Amino acid sequence: MTDRSPISQDPEEDKTLEHVRLWDPALRAFHWLLFLCVVAAWGLGEFGPDIMTLHFYFGYAICALLVFRLVWGLVGPKAARFIHFIYGPKTTLGYAAKMFRREPSYWRGHNPVGALAAFALLGLLIAQVATGLTADPDDFVNVGPLASYVGYDNSVMANRIHAIVAKLILLMVVIHIAAIAFYKVWKRENLITPMITGWKWVKKSDKA
Amino acid sequence: MRKLALATIALSLLAAPSLAGPKEDAIAARQGHYKLLGANMGALSAMAKGQIDYDAKTAQMHADNLATLSKNNIGFLFLEGTSSSDMPGVTRASAKIWEDFPGVGAAGAKFAEAAMTIQAEAGKGAAELGKALGMVGMSCKGCHDSYRTK
Repeated sequence: MTDRSPISQDPEEDKTLEHVRLWDPALRAFHWLLFLCVVAAWGLGEFGPDIMTLHFYFGYAICALLVFRLVWGLVGPKAARFIHFIYGPKTTLGYAAKMFRREPSYWRGHNPVGALAAFALLGLLIAQVATGLTADPDDFVNVGPLASYVGYDNSVMANRIHAIVAKLILLMVVIHIAAIAFYKVWKRENLITPMITGWKWVKKSDKA
Repeated sequence: MRKLALATIALSLLAAPSLAGPKEDAIAARQGHYKLLGANMGALSAMAKGQIDYDAKTAQMHADNLATLSKNNIGFLFLEGTSSSDMPGVTRASAKIWEDFPGVGAAGAKFAEAAMTIQAEAGKGAAELGKALGMVGMSCKGCHDSYRTK
């Protein structure tokens, strides 16, 4: 293990590393489509026209993307599978303790701290889809298609939760982008390119 | 006799919190107004969505009701101390109403205008009704977004 040595300028010279195709094409497409749809749905929700048809469409698209992600988390390639990025508290705390070292993580997949963020974001998005589908804002225009099945009081509650979760999602997106910037600037590890090309430098010692 | 008096006092103490004062009455009256709007809007929206068959006469009746209700001035019911901050759980009328009467008036005028439109359009056909209904719905949303707590 030479991962404590000074930062090597070129990972190709580091014999403990290998260049692998970590993120599969479907997962990358999912990530960037989700990014587009969340930004669009959020922007339309906050600033869009009063007739929120487009907001609804982006919401349905997010619903479909989440269904894909849940399936992919069970049957997809290793890095995409939930079981691959559910870590115990020891691993998570161990990673968190070393996180602020100025060296790349070379982690194979979601790192233990990033995994927590990924699960949090997934959970929030599922909650947002569920409350959006059942929300009733009392305007007889932008009523969630499933609102009539849950009763009026629950629809009002759904509307309320939908507004709160929107803010939490925004917060998670800001944290996500800040973390990517932190890895790029502080840890000198580019996590953006792997999410575009799929290729990433990872530690050989990590069992996939 | 004394037992009866004690029982009366005990009962009235139990009942006291549920007794409605002028503030509760004003809130109930306000909510009644919006419930009437909702009842007519609900019927029209079911028609516009095709959940019930379009009927010009019925549509016109509901649209006339909306137009009539739009002339009902409920400003006097917004007593001081009856916002959602003062009485949470009883009303969702935002405290912003009391800080911005001109804004509330403008939102009300938007609804009144939409109500006139739907009164003119509702009897013409399902498509016309749908369009006008969208306009009324937007005036609902505009006011809810600004002056009603979630």
